[in-house]
Formats: sequence, structure tokens, C-alpha cells
Amino acid sequence: MSYIVQPDVVKYACTCGILKPISNLYFCRHCLEIRCSFCVCHEADSHYCGKCAENLPSSEARLKKNRCGNCFDCPSCHQQLTTRAANVGPKNGEDTKATPRKVFYLLCLLCRWSSRDVGIPDQSAVSGGWPERENVYANRLQEIQDMYKGIVLSDKQQKLEKDKKKQRRYMSFTDRTGITASMLRKRVGLPDVPHPLLKSKPKEPTKAIATEDVEPFLEDLLTQPVNLSLITTMEQRLVQPELQPTTVDKLFPIHKHLSVKRSQRCRSCEHNVSKPEYNPNSIKFKIQLFAYYHIPEVRLITVEPLRAGKVSELLIKFINPTQHQTTVTILPYKVQDDLTLEECKSEIAQQPEEKQSIPVASSQPSSLIHSSLSRQPSITIKPRSVTVPIAASIEVPNNTFILPPRDDAAEYDDSGDTHNIQDDPKLVVWRKSNKAVIRLKIIPESDSKIGDEVVVGFIMQHVYVNTITTVDNKEPQKYEHKIKVFLKLGGLVGNE
Amino acid sequence: MELQDVTYNKSEYVETASGNKVSRQTVLCGSQNIVLQGKVIIQSDAIIRGDLANVRTGRYCIISKEAVIRPPYKKFSKGVAFFPMGVGDHVFVGERSIVNAATVGSYVYIGKNVVIGRRCVLKDCCVIEDNTIIAPETVVPPFTRYGGSPGMEIGSVPECQQDLMIEFTRSYYQHFVPSKLI
Repeated sequence: MSYIVQPDVVKYACTCGILKPISNLYFCRHCLEIRCSFCVCHEADSHYCGKCAENLPSSEARLKKNRCGNCFDCPSCHQQLTTRAANVGPKNGEDTKATPRKVFYLLCLLCRWSSRDVGIPDQSAVSGGWPERENVYANRLQEIQDMYKGIVLSDKQQKLEKDKKKQRRYMSFTDRTGITASMLRKRVGLPDVPHPLLKSKPKEPTKAIATEDVEPFLEDLLTQPVNLSLITTMEQRLVQPELQPTTVDKLFPIHKHLSVKRSQRCRSCEHNVSKPEYNPNSIKFKIQLFAYYHIPEVRLITVEPLRAGKVSELLIKFINPTQHQTTVTILPYKVQDDLTLEECKSEIAQQPEEKQSIPVASSQPSSLIHSSLSRQPSITIKPRSVTVPIAASIEVPNNTFILPPRDDAAEYDDSGDTHNIQDDPKLVVWRKSNKAVIRLKIIPESDSKIGDEVVVGFIMQHVYVNTITTVDNKEPQKYEHKIKVFLKLGGLVGNE
Repeated sequence: MELQDVTYNKSEYVETASGNKVSRQTVLCGSQNIVLQGKVIIQSDAIIRGDLANVRTGRYCIISKEAVIRPPYKKFSKGVAFFPMGVGDHVFVGERSIVNAATVGSYVYIGKNVVIGRRCVLKDCCVIEDNTIIAPETVVPPFTRYGGSPGMEIGSVPECQQDLMIEFTRSYYQHFVPSKLI
């Protein structure tokens, strides 16, 4: 709930140390770590227009400057423009019996700007065919772009050449004999070949020259009252950086920006954590490793009024989203012991023979190894320490509690099935299907003032069942996974 | 945050066999043209204009108090025509919002005091924040968050929005309980 509009009350610490609500986190099943949008690689999968949902290949999108060819935005208020049809009767002097023609123009339904306002002729086709505005400086911009492209290319070539030379210093045969190609040419009496890079020197564009004749000063500027309704606003100018119209009669429709479907990749194992479907209107995913589907969700239910130094009761709900039973343990969180949490996952020593099977896999040909474990991390991320002022302590319960697997059918079952789980009644207050409410006692720090924000943190340790089957390992493996959870409990209401 | 119980007066609401809970204090014009697929909550003083055109909602839709659902019209050279309106599953419409859209996708959250202009298309998994005015004939793409007046794209929506909305509308329905007589 809170994830849609309300402020984020419960936050989880990502592996990189950033606090985020669970809806914005990913869980990489291959390295068993939490990932957030800051510690994954983003890749643009496809470009599409948000209005007409047309998919464009990336090369075409680049050619069209990442804008849609058919859809336009209003240059005045930046809303979407709609195509309007109008009937045009026969003009004077023409055959009066001719059927009325249908013509189309663009109209903004918010500010009523229309393409007729600026004198764009009406079109006879519904979409396309709208005149494109040429940038006056397009040629010069192209020249400059080409020059820089040339510079980049020659830089690259130079670097390549350098690398080659370095290699040659140790490898070349001519080097060993003391004769280089150019020396040989000189000895024979041939002219030296020019350096290949000097030949393809990028063409420099004509230099910009300051001009002395300035437009004459317009007397009207002083005598005429300023009509602000004819002058464009800053936003209207900046939304068209290549034209920057100063008056409203130069506002022309803007091609709509394209949106991007992006997939996200775990940075350390390079597996995808999120990959959407190709269709722009689809909300399905090919790969969706969201933390919401793998990590127990913590929800705040109620908290007693918080008073400094006094015990308050906190009720929180745990929801198991997975198809496997899990056991949750609450461990204390101290600001100092960030380092001890480096290793946040540990395999439960249930199948000790598995550890030996990994070296066996590496002796096989590499094409046979599908094991995710054999991949080497490409980038190691050094986690930053979580800096949250913890203003209350938690009396950590000694017991653990069990969360049964999620069962979609349980929704329709009102029998109150409790799975015959023996619970500590002091800890677990209520449970139903995969949810359990537990009671914790918290003590806000005695030196905090009224109105201070109270934040509590704890480490949630849960059993995660990894169902990825690999060649050498068919059985799902169990891991103990630890996550730091922080709850914002609101302001302090009293001292005593 | 866990949702708090929302209580209602049992005599005020009609509950159908498919689980729809409709307040008696609503204006449902042309009720033969309104289809509620089940587990839909329509709260007091909401207006659904079924007399203009068909209105069809999916499962688990929540129409809050004083919300107006009105099929859109289009002007033609020979008068005006109203178009049927479709609302997907798991859609929340906040209090005092006016929805004039052509289609509302599934898993859409519409906040309070929102005006959705004529013939808008809200695609699946979008969020319209409170007090937003969306211009007519706007297309809101999936996974976008719209806000402001006039409504502009102001951000994105988490990728698990579908499950968040299913969870939200389901638990809203479960927490929408008749007040107990004391």
C-alpha cells in the first residue's frame, strides 16, 4: 500500500548500503544479494512511443533523434497534440458541386493551440506529412559533429598503433635485426611513406567569425508596450533547444520523445534481474527477480505512543512471498557492526557433498558449465555503511518463527488453518496462511526530545530456498539470508 | 503500513452474489448498462453514468466516495456520440475524482480529486497522483506516474506494481467490513 502513494515507512538496506522500500529492490538469485537501481546495470532494450506504442529499432530511433515520427507535443503547454478533422467545402471559383474534402490539423485540447495558429497548412492525410522545421545551423552542426567523430576515430587509431608498436618492440623480427621498414626504405632510396594518420586528418570546419555589423536598434522596443502574451516562456524555448523561438508565432509542434524499455542486470554476476517483454503495452516480464517475490515483506501495523526511555509495543507483520516455508529470526542491529554483515548469506550445512562438486564442474569443458556459481564477478561493489540514526532499541526475542509458504488458494479458505505451528504466544500475536504478526518491545532513547523521529532497525534472517537447478546440483539449496530492516515509527510524544 | 479497517453501515450497502458491495447512496444511472465483474466496492455518493454508454469494470475495483465515472463523448459533424468505457481489474479510484477516460487499464491507481479528461487512455500499471488534471485524449503509458495540473509524467512506478495493486485492492476489500453493532 504504502509503496504506491504513502511515505515509505519500512525500508530495507540494499547490499550497496542505500535504503529503499522493498518494491524498488531486486534480488539476484545467482549471487543471493539484494540489488537496487543504483547497483544494477541498466540496458535500453527497445525504444517506443508512449502515445502510439510504436516500437522503433534503436538505429532508427537514433536517426530520428529519439523522437516519434507521428506523435507531437504541444509547443505551448507540452501536452499531447491530437489530430482533428475538418471539412473544407469547395472554394470560390471552383466547381461548387465538388464533395467537401477532409483535412486534418493538430490541436492541443488543453490550451487550444492549433497548427493553424502558426500557419501550418492543413494535411490531407491523418498522420505524417507535417512539414519539418530545418535548423538554420544544421550544416554547421553536422560539420562540427563530423570533425569530432574524426578526432575520436584518429585517437582510437593512434592508440591502436601505439599498442601495436609496444608489442612489436618485443616480438618484431626487423627489430631484432636492427632494421625497421622505414629504415629499409631509406637505405634502398625510396621516399618514406607518409604516416597513415596524417593522411586522414579530420577536416576542420570553417571558423566562426565575429561580425561587426549588428542589427539596428529597434525604436519600437522603447515605445511599444510589451505584450507578454506574444513572447514565449523560458520552458517553451528550452524544450526546443535548436530553435528557441522567442515569439509565440514561431512555436511549432514538437515530435514526442521516445520512451525506453530497459532491462536490468546484476553488476557482479551479470545475470538479468529484470527483463520486460518487447511489446510496449505489455506489463509482463520475461525475467523478474524483484525482492518483493523473494524476501519476506515487513509491514508496520501499530505502535504504542512513543515516550523516551519507556517501553512501547510494536506490532509488525511478516509476509512470506515464496513457495517455500521459511524461518525468520530477528537479530539486533548496531550501527558499528556493519562489517560483520559482509557475509550476509550462508549455506545451511545440509548437503555437505555439494561443496566438493564445484571443482569437478570446473574440470569439464567450459561449454558444459551452466553453474551460476562458476561465474566470476566482473565488478565488486564496496558497500557503503548505512547511516541511519537509530533512536530506539529493540528487545530482541530469543525465539524464531515460521512463515508457511504462500498459497493462492488460501485466500478463499476461511477455516483459519494455522498449519499446527507451535508458536511462542509472547512473540506471535496472529497468523494466517503465509502471514504472521509479531510483537516487539522497543525503548526510545532516554535523551531524545519530543517530536524527534524514532527509527528502529533490526536484522531479519530468513531461510531462502534457491530453486535454480544446475548441472551438478538438482536439489534446491537452502540459504540463510540476512537483511537490515529499518522502520520509521513517527515522532516522540512524551518524555515520561 | 498495513491498511486499517474501513467500516460501513451494513444497512447502507447492497452485497451481490459475486461480492460487489454497492452503497445505496450512489447515483447509478442506467444500471442495466453497468457491469461489475465481482468484488467491486462502490462507496456512497459515487456516480456512474451508465445511461450515456456501457460501463464495464473488472474485478476488485474500488470506486471511492463522490467519484464520478462517466463515459466519454466524441463530437462528430452530425452531433455527439458516447463511447463505452472499460475499466480493468484491480483499479482504485480515489475520492472526488472524475474519470472520463475511454479505457482504464488494469492495476491503475487514481488518487483523490483527479480529473481524467475526455477520451484519455490509461494503460496498465500507471499511477495518477492526487489533484492531477489530465488533459483530454492523453495516453498514459504503462509504468508511469502522472501528477500536476496539467498532468505530466513525473516519475516511474516500481516494476512490481501489478502485485502491489492486487495486494492493495484485495486487502482493501478484506478490510472493508460492516461496523459491528455494540
